[in-house]
Amino acid sequence: MTAVGPPRRRLADREGTLAWLFLMPSVVYILALVAVPFVLAVGFALSDVTAGDPSYDFVGFRNFDRVFDDPVFWRSLGNTFIFTGISMVLIVVLGKILANILIADFKGKWLVRFLVLLPWTTPVTLGAIAWLWMLDSIFSPIDWLLRQLGLLGAPGALFGAGSNMYWLGEPELAMGSVIAVHVWRLTPLSAVIVMAGLVAIPRDLDEAARVDGAGWWRRMFEVTIPMTLPVIAVAALFGAIFTFTDMAVVDVLTNGGPNNATQVLTSWAFFRGIDGGDVGQGAAVALFLFPLLLAAAIAILRAVRKMEVR
Amino acid sequence: MAESPSFLGVRRSRRSVLRSTGLVAAGATLASLGACASEEDPGPGGPAANPGGAPAETFTEPSEKLSGDLKILLWSHFVPSHDTWFDKFVQDWATKVGVKATVDHIDQAQIPTRIAAEIQAGQGHDVIQFIAPLSQFEPSVLDMKDITDEAVKRWGDQLDVCRKSTFNPTTEKFFAYSPGWVPDPGNFRASLWGPVGFTKGPTTWDELLQGGAEIKKSKGVQMGLGMSQEIDSNMVLRALMWSYGASIQDANERVVINSDQTVAAVEYMSRLFKETMTNEVFSWNAASNNQGLVAGKLSYAVNSISAYRTAQGTSPQVAEDIAFVPALRGTQGALAAQHVMYNWIVPKHAKNPTAAKEFLLHYTANFAAATYASKLYDFCAWDKLTPQRDGWLASDPFGSKPADKLAFLRDATKWTTNIGHPGPSNTAEGEVFNTFIIPNMFARAARGEVSARQAVLDAEAQINPVFAKWRSQGLVGGGS
Amino acid sequence: MAVVEVRNLVKQFDGVRAVDGVDLATEEGEYLVLLGPSGCGKTTLLRSIAGLEQPTAGDVLIDGHVVTGLPPRARKVAMVFQSYALYPHKTVLGNIVFPLRAAGMTRADRELKAKWAADLLGIGHLLARKPRQLSGGERQRVALARALVREPHVFLLDEPLSNLDAKLRASARDELKRFQQEVSTTTIYVTHDQVEAMGLGDRIAVLSHGKVRQIGKPVDVYDDPADTFVATFIGSPPMNLVPRDEQLVGFRPEHLLPVDALPATVDREKVPLAVDRIEYLSGDRHVYGTVTGIGEATRVVARLPATVDSPISAGETYDFAVARHRLRFFVAATGERA
Repeated sequence: MTAVGPPRRRLADREGTLAWLFLMPSVVYILALVAVPFVLAVGFALSDVTAGDPSYDFVGFRNFDRVFDDPVFWRSLGNTFIFTGISMVLIVVLGKILANILIADFKGKWLVRFLVLLPWTTPVTLGAIAWLWMLDSIFSPIDWLLRQLGLLGAPGALFGAGSNMYWLGEPELAMGSVIAVHVWRLTPLSAVIVMAGLVAIPRDLDEAARVDGAGWWRRMFEVTIPMTLPVIAVAALFGAIFTFTDMAVVDVLTNGGPNNATQVLTSWAFFRGIDGGDVGQGAAVALFLFPLLLAAAIAILRAVRKMEVR
Repeated sequence: MAESPSFLGVRRSRRSVLRSTGLVAAGATLASLGACASEEDPGPGGPAANPGGAPAETFTEPSEKLSGDLKILLWSHFVPSHDTWFDKFVQDWATKVGVKATVDHIDQAQIPTRIAAEIQAGQGHDVIQFIAPLSQFEPSVLDMKDITDEAVKRWGDQLDVCRKSTFNPTTEKFFAYSPGWVPDPGNFRASLWGPVGFTKGPTTWDELLQGGAEIKKSKGVQMGLGMSQEIDSNMVLRALMWSYGASIQDANERVVINSDQTVAAVEYMSRLFKETMTNEVFSWNAASNNQGLVAGKLSYAVNSISAYRTAQGTSPQVAEDIAFVPALRGTQGALAAQHVMYNWIVPKHAKNPTAAKEFLLHYTANFAAATYASKLYDFCAWDKLTPQRDGWLASDPFGSKPADKLAFLRDATKWTTNIGHPGPSNTAEGEVFNTFIIPNMFARAARGEVSARQAVLDAEAQINPVFAKWRSQGLVGGGS
Repeated sequence: MAVVEVRNLVKQFDGVRAVDGVDLATEEGEYLVLLGPSGCGKTTLLRSIAGLEQPTAGDVLIDGHVVTGLPPRARKVAMVFQSYALYPHKTVLGNIVFPLRAAGMTRADRELKAKWAADLLGIGHLLARKPRQLSGGERQRVALARALVREPHVFLLDEPLSNLDAKLRASARDELKRFQQEVSTTTIYVTHDQVEAMGLGDRIAVLSHGKVRQIGKPVDVYDDPADTFVATFIGSPPMNLVPRDEQLVGFRPEHLLPVDALPATVDREKVPLAVDRIEYLSGDRHVYGTVTGIGEATRVVARLPATVDSPISAGETYDFAVARHRLRFFVAATGERA
C-alpha cells in the first residue's frame, strides 16, 4: 500500500485563478479586435499616414478640417443616419410580425421558418448580389412583374410609362433599395430575437388576457409588446448597429452612387482611405461611427439589464 | 477596366465579404462562383486558337546569379488561359535560374488593399502587379528606373502611355514598371448602326449623338455610357473630356478642370443622355457593358474586347454583330483611356528584388506569349517585342468573323492615353478617380440638378483639396 | 350566478384523450371542485370551460346556452391561474382594471370597481405596486380581484393555492371559501389536493384518466366511494382493501379499531391484526399490520384517534374490529361497487 497524501487543492478548485483563465480569451479578443483598432484609428486620424507611406507624422486635426470641408462627408453622415433609422424601424416592425409567424403553429411551419431565416444565413454579399440582379436597370424581375401587372411601361401606369424603374439609378429609389436590402437581411435576425422574447412570455399571461376579455390587438399592445420590450430594444439596436457598420450592401449595389446618394460613412471611409490612399482622412471619417456605436452599445446593455431584473 | 458579371461578382463580393466578415471560406466560395461564370471562358464552340499559333519563348541569362525565394502577386486575369500560361512560364524560368518562385493570383479589386496591408506590415510579396497606376505607394516601393532604363536599352523607347503611368516627374522616380496595357475601344451593334447610316459605326462624338438618338427613336435601344460611381464611367467620361480638350490637370499637374472645354463636354453629355440614354446609366456598374451589349440592349458601349470574347462563346450571333471603333473624335481630338494599365511594383521590404527585376525583364521579353495567351487582350509597351501582333489582329487566331474584325487595334496606341492626361498618372488623379468626382460631375448636370458650369465648379472644389494634399506630401507637382 | 354544464366532452391531444366523455353540471352558486391526480384531465376540462381549449367533441353550456365555439371573452367567465398570470409590467391597479378596460368601462367606473374589489380582498393599500413587489398571498388576491371585477357568471380557479407555503395555504383556503360565500358566484375549482377539495367544495368531482369517477358531496365521496380509485385517492391513509372471493372489502383506517374501542351495540366484524409498525401522527396512532379473517391476509393500516388509548405494540397480534355498516364492497375485477 502506498501512502495517500493529504487532500490537495487542484487548479480546478481555485476559482479565482480559473476565472482569470476563462476570461483571458475574451480580454485578448477585445484588446486585439476592439481596443487596438480603435486606438489605431484615432492615431491614424491625427496623422498623415497614407496607404503608400506608413511613416507616422502627427498633424493634429488637419484631417478633420478636411473632412468637414468635404460635402460628400456630410452627405454620408446624413445618409448613415437616414438608412439606420428607417431600417431599424422597419426591421423591428417586420421582425415582430415575422416572429409571430415563426411561433405560430400550422402545417408546413418548418418550411416557413427555414425560408424566413434564409436571408440571415446567406452571406451579406451573396444576398446583395442577388439583389443587384433584382434591381438591375434593364433586367429587373421586379420591373418585369410591374409591367405584367400593368403598373409600369404603359401610358398612365402607376409607376410611369418608362420600361424600367432604374432602382439603383434614381437617388431616392437607390436609397430605398439599400434600405430594403438591409431590412431584408436583418429582419430574420430581429425576428429570431423577438421570437425568443415571445417564447419566454408565460402562456398563462396571454390566456389570462383572453379570459379577461382582451382582443388580439389589446393583447398585442398591452401584454405581448410591453413584455417583450427589452428584447425588441435589443433587436432594434442590433439592426441599427448592423446597418450602421455595414458597407457591403452599399458597396455591391451602388458603390455609394448615384452621385453619392447612398454613400455612407463606412463606404466613404473606405473609398477615401484605402482606394483613395488617404488613410488619415479615411480614419477620421470612420471615427464618426464611434460615438453612435458607443451609445448603441450602452443602450443594448441597459436593455439587457432590464430584462435580467424582471 | 470593367468587365463582366463574373468580374463584378468576384470584385465586389470577395472584397466585401473579406472586409465585412473576414470569412476566408466565403471568399473561396465566391471565388469559385466567379470562376464558373468566368467571362473569358469560351465554352463549347468558343474561340480557340489555331494549333501551334503560340509564339516561341526566349531566355536571357540573368546578369547575376539568382537564388532564394521569389513571391509574385498578381490579378486573376480576365482571360483564364493567361494565368495557366503565366504560372508555367514563371516555373520554367525559376527552374532555369535557380529561384524558388510562388505565384498568387487574387481578385484585382483586393490588390490595393493587399498592398497597403503588406506595406504596413513590412513584409509580403517581392513583386506585385496591378491593373492601374499605383502612384500612391511610391514612398514604400523601389524606384524602377534601373529596370525601365535596362528595358529601353534592350528594346528601344517605351510606349508613352505606359511611361506616364509609371513615372512621377515631381520626384523623378518610377513608382512602377509597366511592360503592357490593354486598349479600350468603342463597341457597337452593327445591325443597329447600319440602318441609321453608320455601317462602320460612329467616328465622332457628334455622330454618336446623331446615330444614337436615331436608334433610340426608331428601335428603342439606348446607349450605355455610364455616369455612375464605378470604373467604366470614370474611363469613358475622361475620354470625352480629352476629346473636347478638357482635362483635370495640365501637363504640369495643375488643376485645370474649370474650363470652357469641360463645360462643353458636360453639356454634350447632358444632351447625349437626354437623347440616347435612360436612367440606367446612373446605376451603371462594371457588369453593365457586357450584359447590355450581349443582350442587345445597348447600341454602343466602351469596353475592352472582353465582352466580345464572352459573346463568341455564349452567343456567336451576337458576337458577329458586335463591331468596334477607335476612340471617337471630339472638337479637340480623339482619345481614350487605357482599359488596363499593368503596373509592377517591388516593395522596399522585398527580400529578393534582384530576382524580381530579372523576372520582369524576362516576362517583358516574352510579352508576345502573354498577348497570345490572353487572346489578344494584353498589349506590350514595346511594339517590337510583339511583331506577330498585327498579323494576329489582321487574322484573329481566336475565330473572329470577319477575321480582321480586330485589325483596327493596330493603331490603338495613337488614340490611347493615360489617366491624368496630359500630365502623369499621379496620386491625386488616383484619388479623384476613386472618389468618383468626374462621373458625379457629369451625372449632376445630366440629371438637371445643376448647370453644367456649376457641376464643373463643384467638382473643382472637391479636386483642389486632393491635389493640394498630395502636393504637400511631395508626390504631386504643379505648386506655385 | 349561473349553471355550467358539460355534455359528453372529449378533448384529444395527439391521440391521447385528456378528457374522455365528461358529463357534469354545477348548481347555481355552487362551489364545485374538480379533484384528481396530475394528468387526470381536470385542468383541461377547466380550460375547455373557459374557452382556452376547443373540445374535440361535446358541448359546454353556460346558463343553458351552448358556448362551445365562443371565445373566452364571450363566456363571462373569470379565471385565476395557478401562476396567477399577473401582468408584470402593470401595477396592481392596472392589473385589476385590465378586464374592465377591455370591456370598455369608463375610467371613473373602473377605478371605483377596482377599489371595491381591492378592499374586499384587503389589498387596497397595494394598488400602486408592481406584482414583483408582492408576496405570494398578495399576488393571489390581486388575481382574485382581477377575476372579481368583471362580475363573471362563473369563477374558474386552477390550483390557486399550490404556489403558497403550507401555513399560508390553510388561511387562504379559509378566505377563499368565505369570499365565495360572500359573492356567491358559481365556482369551479381545480386541485389535486384532497384536503382543499374536502374543505372547499360543495361537491367534489373526482377525475381519473379523463373520466369522472364520482361526483358528490365531500362526505359522500369519502364515505361512499364509487370505486376503488376514489376509495384510495381520497383519504389519508387511504381506504384498506382486502380481497375476499371475487370482491374487495373496503374500510377506512379510522374504522379499524381495537374491539373494545367499539361499542358492543354495533354490529362488529372482528379481525385479528398482527401489528408490525406504529406511527404517531398529530396525536393519532397509525397502526400497520396484517389482517386475517375478513378475507385474504392483507396488509392494512388502522388509524386510532387519541381517545383510544389501548396499549398496542409491534410484534403482537390484537383483536380489532370494523363496524359492519362501515364496510364497503367492490367488484375485484372492475373496482366498482358491488
